[in-house]
Amino acid sequence: MANMKFYCDAERCIECNACVTACKNENEVPWGVNRRRVVTIKDGEPGERSLSVACMHCADAPCAAVCPVDCFYTTEDGVVLHDKEICIGCGYCFYACPFGAPQFPKAGAFASRGKMDKCTFCAGGPKDPGSADEHRMYGSNRLAEGKLPLCAEMCSTKALLAGDANVISDIYRKRVINRGASVLDWGVNYDKASLRAPQAPKGKVSGEG
Amino acid sequence: MSKRVLSKLLTLSALVIALLAGISASFAAESTVPPPPQTYPIDVPNPATDLWRAVRQRGAGPPLNASTQVHNVDAAQMINASGEEFRQYRRKDFMRVAGWVIVGVPIAILLFYLVRGKVRIPGGRSGRRIRRFPDYDRTIHWFTAVLFIFLAATGLTLLFGRFVVLPVFGPEAFSVIASACKEGHNLFGPLFPVAVLLLLVRWVARNIPAGRDFVWLLKGGGIIGNAHVSAGFFNAGEKIWFWSVVVLGIVASVSGLILVFPVFGQGRDVMQLALIVHGIATVLFIVGSFGHIYIGTIGSEGSFDGMRTGYVDEAWAKVHHDVWYAEVTGDREAVAAAPDAGHPTQRPPLQTSSENA
Repeated sequence: MANMKFYCDAERCIECNACVTACKNENEVPWGVNRRRVVTIKDGEPGERSLSVACMHCADAPCAAVCPVDCFYTTEDGVVLHDKEICIGCGYCFYACPFGAPQFPKAGAFASRGKMDKCTFCAGGPKDPGSADEHRMYGSNRLAEGKLPLCAEMCSTKALLAGDANVISDIYRKRVINRGASVLDWGVNYDKASLRAPQAPKGKVSGEG
Repeated sequence: MSKRVLSKLLTLSALVIALLAGISASFAAESTVPPPPQTYPIDVPNPATDLWRAVRQRGAGPPLNASTQVHNVDAAQMINASGEEFRQYRRKDFMRVAGWVIVGVPIAILLFYLVRGKVRIPGGRSGRRIRRFPDYDRTIHWFTAVLFIFLAATGLTLLFGRFVVLPVFGPEAFSVIASACKEGHNLFGPLFPVAVLLLLVRWVARNIPAGRDFVWLLKGGGIIGNAHVSAGFFNAGEKIWFWSVVVLGIVASVSGLILVFPVFGQGRDVMQLALIVHGIATVLFIVGSFGHIYIGTIGSEGSFDGMRTGYVDEAWAKVHHDVWYAEVTGDREAVAAAPDAGHPTQRPPLQTSSENA
């Protein structure tokens, strides 16, 4: 079985937010919840970079560790999912998650938390794959259809990669061989451009990159 | 050829000697003159490393200028490193210590009870009763007590239920139980500061520490041995519990209110801290309540009457609250000289006990 992972290539992300929109549309996520978001650091400054963030499907997930009702489980594909019929909406997973993935629709009096919602790696939930109940509660189950998460599938610059960890790291490794870990190495960092001679990009390797 | 080689060698050795001399001279000079601060003319960072370090928010430096189009709490924070610390604290430290304390203290109290037994009223009950807690006092006490027991039970279920209740009832049934606990805890929790405030206003005047309280504490409250301890309306132990209730109650209430209303834009770090503080304060509160309940029920003969009926036995009052007893009966000497006699004209109406006879 695969070990599913996301990887966002900061050198390619152009902050178009298409992944956010695609996810919201595909999974029909609750109002006020964004399973994926694009965070831009140093916006408008030299060295600006954007990264698309969602649940990273940790091998040792903090959310699962602190959950008082043990509603999380990891699928055979390494995807961390949760059972909304077990979740009580306490918010502890939100405190523990490093990526801010778990979110809560406002429900009931005083805007108390409803059932937690987070990225499912487009793998649905514990309901029957492809059933109406599954789609209503968890969104699409593209993995069951042999497809990868829509956010990564429709990323226009292929910054966001989703799939088996070995394949993802292989693609990224080829990119690093071609261009270095960061294009800032090329001397296009305008902050430091006067200090170093611009280098021509290294010779391209055929194939992915 | 050998000449040239020799001359070259000579030149080389001369150079080496000169170099060594220079180096040693420079070392000597450096040893007296402090070296200039090290500067790097050209900063050559690894941009990718810097990026990920900034994202991970490790190390000192200006706060990361991050933004996002998603408008949620902390959405602009890419990685929250404190989440893992919170998880480690909760699972490894807090739950372990809290578990041992919650189980250990009742066992310790039970052992103490087996060794010490119930603190009896010397000479038994007199059958005459003195009014101690009016209806209002008992109402706010039992309001707080019932609320406290409910909040403690629901809170402990949420804390330990995954390991204690879930294996018994299964995940589906436990989810219903935990959900009810969470809703009940959140619904009735905000009432607790009201209860604490009522207790504070009603009893604060009687809980100002007095000189005799330190003597009481030094004698251990008379619970070990049969030393006579003097006390007013509240003894030092009761005063300590009163102030514990006030302080822990306020801490638990404030931290709880931060958690129960997630609508004021408070971030994850604040909520983590609030949950940690809430846990420590309430576990201390629960453990303290075990002691309070023990002393008020099986630990001491006659104590429970005060909160149950509002009246206490005269003999109990004389032993445990002699100064208060003297104030109520109005004659200190009378107490000392004739323990069983009083001044009916001066004392508030007494009731002859029929149910406790």
